[in-house]
Amino acid sequence: MFDLLSIVLKYVFVFIIYLFIFTIIRMIYLDIRSVDYGNLESGAYLKLLNRIDSLPYNLSDSYPVEGELTLGRQKDNIIQIKDPFISKKHFRIIKDENEFFLEDLGSSNGTYLNGEKVLDVVRIGKGDIIKVGELEFIFIDGA
Amino acid sequence: MNSERKRIITILIALCLGFVFLIGYLSYFQMFRAQAVRDNSYNKRLWINEDNILRGSITDRDGEVLVYSESVDGEAQRIYRYDNLYSHVIGYSLRDYGKSGLERKYNSYLVNANENTAINELINLINPTGVGNNLSLTIDHDLQTRTRELMSGKKGSAIAIDPNTGEILSMVSVPDFSVDALSENWTSVSENPDSPLLNRGIQGQYTPGSIFKILTALGVIRNGLPEAIYQCSGSTVIDGYTIRDFDESGHGPLNLEQAFAVSCNTYFVDQAVAMGHEQLREIAESLMFNDRIDFDLETSASIFPEASLGLTDLAASGIGQGRVLTTPLNMLMIVSAVANDGYMPMPHLVESIYTPSGMNIESHKTESRKVMDKGEAEALQRMMREVVASGTGTNAGINGVQVAGKTGTAENSSGNNHAWFVGFAPLEDPQVAVVVLLEEEGSSGGRAAAPIAREMISFAINRLSN
Amino acid sequence: MNERLKGKAPRKLLFLFEILSLSLIFLYSWEGIQTETYVIAVGLVLLIYFSNYLLGRISKGDSYIFLIVCMLISIGIIMIYRISPDLGLKQLMWLTFGIAMFFAAYFATRYISFWNRMTVLYLAASYLLFAATLIMGSRTHGAINWITIAGVSVQPAEITKIILVFLLAAFYGGDEKYRRIRNAELILMIVVYSFIGLLFLQRDLGTAVIFFGVFTGIQYIYSEDRRLIWANLGLAAAGGVAGYLLFDHVKVRVTTWLDPWPHINDKGYQITQSLFAISEGGFFGTGLGRGNPSFIPLSYNDFIFSAISEEMGIFTGIGVIMLFMLLVYRGFKIALRQENLFFRIVALGISMVFGIQAFIIIGGVMKVIPLTGLTLPFVSYGGTSVVTSFIALGILQGASEKRGKAGIVDE
Repeated sequence: MFDLLSIVLKYVFVFIIYLFIFTIIRMIYLDIRSVDYGNLESGAYLKLLNRIDSLPYNLSDSYPVEGELTLGRQKDNIIQIKDPFISKKHFRIIKDENEFFLEDLGSSNGTYLNGEKVLDVVRIGKGDIIKVGELEFIFIDGA
Repeated sequence: MNSERKRIITILIALCLGFVFLIGYLSYFQMFRAQAVRDNSYNKRLWINEDNILRGSITDRDGEVLVYSESVDGEAQRIYRYDNLYSHVIGYSLRDYGKSGLERKYNSYLVNANENTAINELINLINPTGVGNNLSLTIDHDLQTRTRELMSGKKGSAIAIDPNTGEILSMVSVPDFSVDALSENWTSVSENPDSPLLNRGIQGQYTPGSIFKILTALGVIRNGLPEAIYQCSGSTVIDGYTIRDFDESGHGPLNLEQAFAVSCNTYFVDQAVAMGHEQLREIAESLMFNDRIDFDLETSASIFPEASLGLTDLAASGIGQGRVLTTPLNMLMIVSAVANDGYMPMPHLVESIYTPSGMNIESHKTESRKVMDKGEAEALQRMMREVVASGTGTNAGINGVQVAGKTGTAENSSGNNHAWFVGFAPLEDPQVAVVVLLEEEGSSGGRAAAPIAREMISFAINRLSN
Repeated sequence: MNERLKGKAPRKLLFLFEILSLSLIFLYSWEGIQTETYVIAVGLVLLIYFSNYLLGRISKGDSYIFLIVCMLISIGIIMIYRISPDLGLKQLMWLTFGIAMFFAAYFATRYISFWNRMTVLYLAASYLLFAATLIMGSRTHGAINWITIAGVSVQPAEITKIILVFLLAAFYGGDEKYRRIRNAELILMIVVYSFIGLLFLQRDLGTAVIFFGVFTGIQYIYSEDRRLIWANLGLAAAGGVAGYLLFDHVKVRVTTWLDPWPHINDKGYQITQSLFAISEGGFFGTGLGRGNPSFIPLSYNDFIFSAISEEMGIFTGIGVIMLFMLLVYRGFKIALRQENLFFRIVALGISMVFGIQAFIIIGGVMKVIPLTGLTLPFVSYGGTSVVTSFIALGILQGASEKRGKAGIVDE
């Protein structure tokens, strides 16, 4: 009886162990896709203010702004948010001569800077709060 | 900064590659090396199953039981019904001295430890038999007995094979030893200078002498020169060294077939020198020289020198002297190829493996490879027929049966020639091929080895026709 | 974080694995089940579940390394318990203590930021430990590794391993002043070589290789003077050859590695038994309880990997290797994300220690490289090994937290 169980279980064990390994790998992979890289050179970044476990999607808590940072529903955005409230291309932040600018890309529901709706391009600085729908980010300029 | 990052990643990749290599090696090891490692007699796990399972039996091709196990007072006893007759082929299985022969090679089948697949494992569990699997050999017990009789008092080996399928019909190596008494006599047996534990047929490497001329002849045929006439004067000089014939008066004018029939040394020496070392070596290697032979038991390889040391060395090789060495099994396989119209069959001893209830687990599949053209084989067949009909091998002739063969008398360092005979019969449709080697017999192949071969062939053909 | 949500899946798998394997083990030792066995079972499961939960709550750092290690310790303790219930129970104790030390080390690393200023202390401590070993040490299995204090056996080299990492981090990532000394790097190299030499004297070749590996790795990444790296490699090669020629015990290990079969009864006994075990199990193993790991000497320790391969299969063996690979990868990732140079080097160093050690012992029992007397971190039985590995892990966990430039953890 024991032998039978042991033989059956050995396949089960291998299965469980590999499932475990692959789950971890998958988690790490998802992590990589949404998390920043070169934190070694700290610069400007957008930090998420909401509590992440209250959100239904996979987000990191900060995104670096290197040149250009886009947010939207489409896949080619740096921050991709699959929410119908967010437009395909919602807003972007660009760096121009050591200054940062926020531009709304014609979104349906608007982008709000410190509570005011962004109409075209505005300059942003440290501590500014950017809000799209339920999501709130704070802009931090480490330089 | 960037270079720091790069270096960090480099080290990471190096470590990961190291691990990947380990994974790869582990898999490779399991797939290709594990079985060989397990079979080591020092592996105590081989013995674990012994205590629980009654070892399987081994039978000959007709079902005659040769070895079996039975439980006596709770202890398992292995009964070797014919003791020394199968001491090399089947071997022994002893607690203190390990296992040999088929007992060793097929150990996992005999103790039913073969649980390589999930299904086998579960079957074993659900239906535990307590008895191992059985082997059915290709050996013909009566032929084996007769062969052993013929080799009494001799030193050497005799093997009979079915050239069409590679089935070994009998395999004898003498001196042999008593398996039953082995435990008691271990020291004297293992230290006996005549090496009774050695299976001479497959592990002994001997100077072939004239039987090697089969290969040289093949070279002559391939070079299109079989009809060329050679004047044999009884001796020839190669590089300042004189090589003589057995009959120093000379055979006169000969073509290949005639030279082969009388085994003229000078003819073949000349031919060997003419064709060169490379071609001769190529032929030898195509016929399994310098190569491991895949077999149910451990074999030694035949040796044909990599490079020639000069013309005299090459000349000697051409007549199977010099540094050429062969095992009886290898020569038998070559002769089988000739008999089998150019297809060399891979030899095997075990026909099938089956469970105690009779269910077949594995059956041997015949394998053969083409080593010469049909035309070449037929030419050699005719030549070998002549040897027995009118040449040096007349002692192998049987009334009413066309026997073909080649004799060999090999000079060696002991001073006493080895006596060889290889042959097959009947010519039109070969049923059996044999090799007989009498180590240091001191007599010629035709005189000493051919008669033994004749009896073996005669017995085998009678058996097969019944 | 979303991660924590998903973090439940591996935890559940771990739980399932433990329950099943423990039930199997119970069945195996049906007659001999004592209360201890139940203690183990319940203890193990609770321990892992609880510590994972706790870690998730208090640390914003990496959440994977502890999980990976939990799977490793589960596989390990199951195997150890199967080999000897006694040792299994002891291992559980060590694991508990180890996890406690994990948290301790984590807090220490997280809240104390002056680790990078204690270079001299590290140097002194290392030499002290070596001296202690040489003077008070007792020889086991051919190596002077252990000292016994108040009835407890400790392996000082394990601690020195960690101190080495801190030493290197302090040198390359701490105060500039040490690097400004003339020929500072050369002196450092000489110091490290002296450590290796002492380890050689102790016959602890495995640890010597780890020291060398970690040092060379860090040196390769951080040394400004590239020639020094070549000098290092050259010296090592020369040293290796010299070691082989001069020292018999090195020669023996190399010959036994190349061909152990002729010496199957004496020098080659360990490695051949290990190979027998590894080749026995096939891809899925013989099944827990159905193999013969007792034929392998030190099956619960250096050769735990062979025992695992025998009963749980090559696939599990590969799984263990993959887990270590993940651990090392994760450690490096932590390093890459760490802004603070000192803690970055610490993370790198510790990851390298884990990686190199695992590689050496697994490679050794498979006969890929010569055998050395090292344990497989987290999997092998052994108090010092388990505890120091957890301390190292705790430090790594601490090093995974975000810090500002001042070295203080960002709350």
